[in-house]
Amino acid sequence: MNRFICILFATLVLGGCVATPNLYNWNKYNDRSYSYLKNADEVSIEGLLEVYEIIINNPSGTRNVPPPGVMADYGFFLIQKNQVEKGRVLLEKEMATYPESRPFVERILKMLES
Amino acid sequence: MKPCHLIVFALLFVGCEATSTLTKSVAYSGVYEEQPNVILIMPPINRSTEVEAKEFFHSTLTVPLANRGYYVVPPFLSMEILKRESAYDSELFINQNLSLVGGVFGADAALFTIIHRWDKSLSTVNIDVEYVLKSTKTNNVLYTRRGEITYNTSVNSNMSGLAGLVADIALTAANTALTPYIEVARKCNAYTFQDFPIGKYGPAPFQDGAELAGKPVFKVVLSSQSAY
Repeated sequence: MNRFICILFATLVLGGCVATPNLYNWNKYNDRSYSYLKNADEVSIEGLLEVYEIIINNPSGTRNVPPPGVMADYGFFLIQKNQVEKGRVLLEKEMATYPESRPFVERILKMLES
Repeated sequence: MKPCHLIVFALLFVGCEATSTLTKSVAYSGVYEEQPNVILIMPPINRSTEVEAKEFFHSTLTVPLANRGYYVVPPFLSMEILKRESAYDSELFINQNLSLVGGVFGADAALFTIIHRWDKSLSTVNIDVEYVLKSTKTNNVLYTRRGEITYNTSVNSNMSGLAGLVADIALTAANTALTPYIEVARKCNAYTFQDFPIGKYGPAPFQDGAELAGKPVFKVVLSSQSAY
């Protein structure tokens, strides 16, 4: 009986500590972001682009959409690598998925046109 | 005393986080009043002696905020814009009117991170980091916490006697050197933001005001085994 009470108590206490469920699939985003920030070379950029592809093509978590900012950042990197059309499509998708991004992303698109 | 009782006592004293006596709706009243959605992460301000501390934190701040339900301004795009505008130094902005920043990035709030200390000893990494979220509309501080965080890297060889002691020291020193510091920064951020109010894309946005806030200034020991 004592053991049952202990287990019940521990379950209740720890239950209050449960983190919010993951909203998104982040894959290796932290590691690849850090590598790019530190090195900013071709290898680190390719590593980051690879993880963007995985995140965008395999959304999961409770929201089941790519996390905020990922499509816009990926689109920006692609435009810098002269993959302008694919990059532009990703920026459009960011605005469609997250309408609050529109003022900022539209500013970027205008900047690219000029 | 039975092991079961020890566990219960440990849970009572440790809990999941040292909380203040204030509810989140009181401690972070500005967040509940303004209900910000778009957050701009400013490049961390590094006042420590570890030259890479800025990158450790900059690369690990997006995930915890997005996971609390906020739209985080695309970090690399925003970084590029800040650099182009010669505005990559957050010290320039932290005490200034943020309405211009808000306008350019469409951000409701800007997060400043100040790394006061990052150094390591034989068995620990010691960090003192402060987080300040400021409204770009009112310039008010919406959320702030400062933590003295000790990341424990000690390793037990499970050997007894003097040989065991020597082995523990050697393993701990090696583990400290090999600890991925990005993981240390990730845990600092995850621990701190666990009491951040749930935003627009989270379950029940801004409905968690009755929960207790974490202490505004805290000390904690974390390790690779920590849940955060």
